[in-house]
Amino acid sequence: MRWLRNTILYVVLGVGAFVCVFPYLMVVFTSLKTGRQLNATSPWLPAIPGTLGNYTKLFNGSIANVAFPAYLWHTVLLAVILTVGQLVFTTLAAYAFARMTFPGREVLFWAYVATLMVPNVVTMIPLYLIMRQIGWVDTWMGLVAPYVFGSPYGIFLMRQFFQTLPKDLEDAARIDGAGVLATLTRVILPLSKPILGTLSILTVVFAWHNFLWPLIITSGDGTKVVTVGIASLQGNLGADYNLMMAGSFVALVPLIVVFLLFQRSIVRSVALSGLK
Amino acid sequence: MPVAVAEPAVADRDARAPVRRAGRGRRVRDALTAYVFLGPSLFGVLAFLLAPVVIVAVISLFKWNLLAAPQFVGLANYRRMAGDGNVWHSVAVTVFYVLMTIPTQTILALVLALLLNTKLRGIRVLRALFVIPWMATPVVMGVVWKWIFDTQNGALDSFLGLFGVDPVNWLGSGALALPSTAAVGVWSGVGYTMLFFLAGLQGIPEPLYEAARLDGAGPVQQFFAITLPLLRPTMFFVLVTSVIGSFQVFDTVYAMTKGGPGDATSVLNFTIYQTAFQLFDDGYASALAMLLFALLLVLTLAQVLYFRKRTTYDYS
Repeated sequence: MRWLRNTILYVVLGVGAFVCVFPYLMVVFTSLKTGRQLNATSPWLPAIPGTLGNYTKLFNGSIANVAFPAYLWHTVLLAVILTVGQLVFTTLAAYAFARMTFPGREVLFWAYVATLMVPNVVTMIPLYLIMRQIGWVDTWMGLVAPYVFGSPYGIFLMRQFFQTLPKDLEDAARIDGAGVLATLTRVILPLSKPILGTLSILTVVFAWHNFLWPLIITSGDGTKVVTVGIASLQGNLGADYNLMMAGSFVALVPLIVVFLLFQRSIVRSVALSGLK
Repeated sequence: MPVAVAEPAVADRDARAPVRRAGRGRRVRDALTAYVFLGPSLFGVLAFLLAPVVIVAVISLFKWNLLAAPQFVGLANYRRMAGDGNVWHSVAVTVFYVLMTIPTQTILALVLALLLNTKLRGIRVLRALFVIPWMATPVVMGVVWKWIFDTQNGALDSFLGLFGVDPVNWLGSGALALPSTAAVGVWSGVGYTMLFFLAGLQGIPEPLYEAARLDGAGPVQQFFAITLPLLRPTMFFVLVTSVIGSFQVFDTVYAMTKGGPGDATSVLNFTIYQTAFQLFDDGYASALAMLLFALLLVLTLAQVLYFRKRTTYDYS
C-alpha cells in the first residue's frame, strides 16, 4: 500500500513540477532553432543541429532600435543600486524604529505600515508628474529615485528582526565606548547576515521584475531595462519567436541562477514575511 | 549579587541632579541621531509614497492632458466615471480575473503543500521546482506564454492536435483570453503560495494529530478539524496579499493581450495605464486610480473583518 501511495504521489508531483518548468524548456528549445526549424519541428522537441544565431543577432546590434546588451546591463545596474540603497537606508531606518526613542516614532511607523496598502499604479501618475517637473524623465535618477531609499516592507521586516536580538549586546558595546553607528555595524549587522541576505534577494528579484515604472519613465536606450527591452522587442518583431525566446532566456536565466544559489534563503524569506 | 548594589548608593545622591540635566540633553541628541538614521528613508516615503497619494487625489479633481494648464472640474471626473461603461467593464474584468485566479491558486497551493509536507526522497528538489515560476519575470513570462498559446506551432495547440483537437485561439477569442491570462497568473503564483502553507503546516504541533488519531479521527477529519483551523493566520495572509496582487495584474496582460481582443482583458490597472500614458487624460486616470485604491481598501477590510470574526487558536 505504501509504495502505491508513494508512486501516485511522485507521479502527481512530477506532472505538476513539469508544468512549472515546461515554459523554460520552450524558451531554451525555441531560442536554439532557426525560423525554418520552428515550423518543421514540434514545439517541445529540440532542433538538431541547433543554432546560436538568435543569440548573436540579439547581441551584435543588428536588430533596428533594440540595444539588448545595454538593457541587460541596465537591469544588473538597477538591481545593484537598489540593493545597496535598500541595505543601507532600510537598515538605518529599521534600527531607529527598533532601538531608538524619539518623538513621533509610533505615528511614523504606522504611516510606514499604511503605505504597504498603497497600490503601485496609484503612485505612478504623480511620480511621473514629479519627475517631469524636475526634468528626470528618461534619466537614471528618475528610474532609481522612487525605490533607492529603501522600502517600508523591508523596514518592517528588519525592525521585526532587530527586536529579536538581545539588548545586552548593544549595551555592552555602548559601555565599551562604541558609538551608535559602530554598535550597529560591528555588533548588530554581523548578527543580521541571514536577514540581510533575504532582503538583498527580495530586492534583486523586485528590481529584475520591475516593469511598470521603467515602462513609464524610460524611453531611450540609455535607460531602458531588460523588461522594457523585451516589450519593445515584442513590439518590433511581432511573432519572431526564435528571437523573442532568445531574449527571454537571457532575461530569465540570471534569476534562475540566483534561485539555485540561494534557494534556502529564498524559502526562509517566505517563512519570515508570512508569519507576522 | 546583592553586595554590589549597596555600594554606590551614597555617591548617587550627589550625582543625581547633573545626571538628570545631562539626561535631557542626551535625549535631544538621541532623537537627532534617530532622525539622521531615519532621514533618507523618511524622505523617500514622504516624497515618493505619501505625497503621490495626496497628489493623485488632487489631480483627480482636474481635467489635465499634461500639455495645457490643468483645469479644476470638481467631482466631474467621478461623475463621468459613474456613467462610464468602459470603466465598469474594466472593474468586472478585474473581478473575474481575481475570481478565476485566487480560488484555484489557493486550493492548488494548499493541496501541493499537503503533498509536499512529507519526508520522501527528492522532496526538496520537487519543492524547489514548484517555486521556480515565482522567479520568472512576469512580463517575460507573458511573452513566453503568448508563444505557448500561439495558434500556429504553439505548444498547447500542437499538443492538443495530437488528440485530433482543432487549434484553439486562446488569446484571440473574447471568451478564452481572460481565463488564459488567469491560468498564467495561477502558474506563476501557485508555488510561492505553497511555501506559505508549507511553513504554516510545519508550525502545527504533531501531538495534536496524535491525539486526534487516538480519538479515531481519519485523515479527512484531521484536515478539517485541525489543519484548516490552525492554518487560519496563514490563510488570512495568503488571501489578503494574493488578492491585492492579482487585483493589480498588469505585466502579463501587457505582454499577452494588451487588453484585447477588443476589451476582453482590459483589467483596471491596464485601463489606468492607457488612460494616463497613452490617452494622456491624467485627471480622469487619477480618478480611476482612486477607484482602484478604494476597491482594494474595501476588499482588504472585508477580509480583515471576516477573519477577525472567526475564532483564532492559541496553541503556544
